Amino acid sequence: MGARRGTTRARGVRAAAAALAALGLLATGCGGGSGSGDGKVTIRYSWWGAKDRAELIQKTVEMFEKEHPNIKVKTDFSEYTDFWSKFNTQAAGGNAPDVFQNSYAFLRKYGDKNLLLDLNGQAKAGNLSLKGFRDGLEKAGDIDGKLLGVPVGANTFALFYNPDAYRKAGVTVEAGWTWDDFFAAAEKVRKSDDTLYGASDNANVMYLYDLYLRQNGKAFFTKDGKLGFTEDDLTKWWGRWQQHAKADELVPGKKSEQAKPKASISADLSASEFTWDNFLVRFAAETKTSLDLGPIPTTDGKRTGQYLSSLMLSGSARTQHPKEVAQFIDFMTHDPEVGKVMGYNRGIPATTSQYDAYEPQGVDAKIAAYEKSVSAQLEPITPHPAGADVAEAAFLRIYTQVALGQTSMGKAVDQFFNEADSALGS
Amino acid sequence: MTPTTTRATHGTRPPTGKSRATAAPGTRPAPAAGRRQGRRENLAGYLFLTPWCIGILLLTLGPMLVSLYLAFTDYNLFDSPRWIGFKNFQDLFQDDRWWTSVQVTLKYVLIGTPLKLAAALAVALLLVKPRKGQGFYRSAFYAPSLIGASVSVGIVWRAIFNDDAVVDKSMSLFGWDVGGWIGDPDWALPTLITLTVWQFGAPMVIFLAGLKQVPGELYEAAEMDGAGRWRRFRSITLPMISPVLFFNLLLELIHSFQVFTSAVVIAGSGTNTGGPGDSLLVYGWYLYEQGFRNLRMGYAAAMAWMLMLGIGLVTAVLFKTQRGWVHYEEDAR
Repeated sequence: MGARRGTTRARGVRAAAAALAALGLLATGCGGGSGSGDGKVTIRYSWWGAKDRAELIQKTVEMFEKEHPNIKVKTDFSEYTDFWSKFNTQAAGGNAPDVFQNSYAFLRKYGDKNLLLDLNGQAKAGNLSLKGFRDGLEKAGDIDGKLLGVPVGANTFALFYNPDAYRKAGVTVEAGWTWDDFFAAAEKVRKSDDTLYGASDNANVMYLYDLYLRQNGKAFFTKDGKLGFTEDDLTKWWGRWQQHAKADELVPGKKSEQAKPKASISADLSASEFTWDNFLVRFAAETKTSLDLGPIPTTDGKRTGQYLSSLMLSGSARTQHPKEVAQFIDFMTHDPEVGKVMGYNRGIPATTSQYDAYEPQGVDAKIAAYEKSVSAQLEPITPHPAGADVAEAAFLRIYTQVALGQTSMGKAVDQFFNEADSALGS
Repeated sequence: MTPTTTRATHGTRPPTGKSRATAAPGTRPAPAAGRRQGRRENLAGYLFLTPWCIGILLLTLGPMLVSLYLAFTDYNLFDSPRWIGFKNFQDLFQDDRWWTSVQVTLKYVLIGTPLKLAAALAVALLLVKPRKGQGFYRSAFYAPSLIGASVSVGIVWRAIFNDDAVVDKSMSLFGWDVGGWIGDPDWALPTLITLTVWQFGAPMVIFLAGLKQVPGELYEAAEMDGAGRWRRFRSITLPMISPVLFFNLLLELIHSFQVFTSAVVIAGSGTNTGGPGDSLLVYGWYLYEQGFRNLRMGYAAAMAWMLMLGIGLVTAVLFKTQRGWVHYEEDAR
């Protein structure tokens, strides 16, 4: 009995030591870097979007790997908001993806924190071409002289409308129409068809309000990163939409919440809605109603305040492989075959080589025609400060509460200014 | 650990103080050899404990201390934390959305937990007597809590309660036209509460075990005295299972305070956070949003510690009231 106990004990000690050793092994195993022995470099590429985009991107990544056999690309995607939460966590741990999809609204937020690779150096070294971008887009990612992102596609704001409903109501949309015309049209549509509201209540869309402000010589954000409008301005803007909502011309707040994740217009609740023009691709999949793109209403009959915004690719400042990242971005933005595969999924291709390679069909052709029609209107974009995304989310949420009847206008405006000011750090 | 053993351990609990077993029980070797052997045995013990010790230091205690420190700083995940004292806590009390999240969470906890426990106990009472297909029913009722915290159930729930989905359509047949339940600020939270009530399997299993421990003689005696069903339930079952009830209540309360996944999945992500009009903005979600989306990690840490204080307070109150309604067998002695 005693002898047996002795051996078990010895075995126990050995087992414990083995367990410790295993732990140690595990720890060293985790420490291994991404550089593998055979001269092959692996870069991580993450982006936001859904399944349809995933399939296209996978194709383009395979094309890139074929062209650059020494580079392997690991992809990773999630939905828009989940993407940023994940990105924040990874970046805070010093483990941001080497290259990732970005958009204009985030350049300053992450640029200020030195998380983004300045691609100017790589462009000078010849790893990334900045030639052949449409409409001066090569400057789109330029923040205070640093090139923090390169656009892959660009889009602009548009009015989506149901042409049948408009025809039935006897309204025509024409360039240079005013906000009064727009709201009058909404009223007419509502009167002519009791199954449809005249328009979706878009008072909470930051980008639309930005256009309206730009028409009036202001903008949502000032150059020094503050809010570019007063509480009075906002009360007027939200108040005007509320007035038409109360007249039962716009989709009620509750109904549009219930229709989610569909947009009100693709849920066939309303006859018009404002959003980015490349959303036509998504709406076409969600509804059988054929939708058209129309001009943004104006204040003075001329200026729409429109600009091009773009989806970009950015590199991580901490990447071990800046050269390969630049080569990847170069391929993704310039290669004509990539343009053919991606189509208008991320907006209209940013380079002429990709733009010319792709022959738009169906809804894509509509988007192309729309962008051509507004190209003379386009103005430069106003910079988005760090915290712009938080302000946008607050804008959306707080007006929704007004539309749901949960809060008064005065309280809502106050609350928005509080939240935006603290997000913008003033 | 499980409450079912409470009764059993009362009998075998070692007498406190006196004859503490020093070395390995059973054998009694010579003093010197024994000490050495004991030391070696201890060494092995500590070695085996090391992974656990490292774990608790690195994964529990360390992060907790860091989070406590962060609660007093302004920290955006990227720049180094800046000490600001109690400012985060002061800001909390002036933050409307924080109060909203507290309210939503309290509603969820105070309505959801009793309903869930009632459902668990009711079904446990039905399933405690042996009958045909008992095994099947027990597993069937338990299954939802197995997949409890998973995203898939949230997605299913979303699909069921969405606009034009099963619930909406069948309710409309009876003239009750809500539309999408999840998009309606008045119905979103009840939908979430239904989900937690539906997942009553875990407390049910514990209730089942507790019910089995109630001695049958008590019921026989009571029946002889002419006690009806309800009377027997109130005077025998409830007091006898009160320790189990207490355990379940405590566990479910703590668990509900931390609700996160189901709310997020049901309300859907995208730009829409907090559900329609913030009606689903549970505490955990707001904390997550502040920490990982708005990059206010210090604020989020302060929120986490307030939550811990809250849960601690509720637990303490429960333990205090325990004397009044929880009956352990030793009290009867």
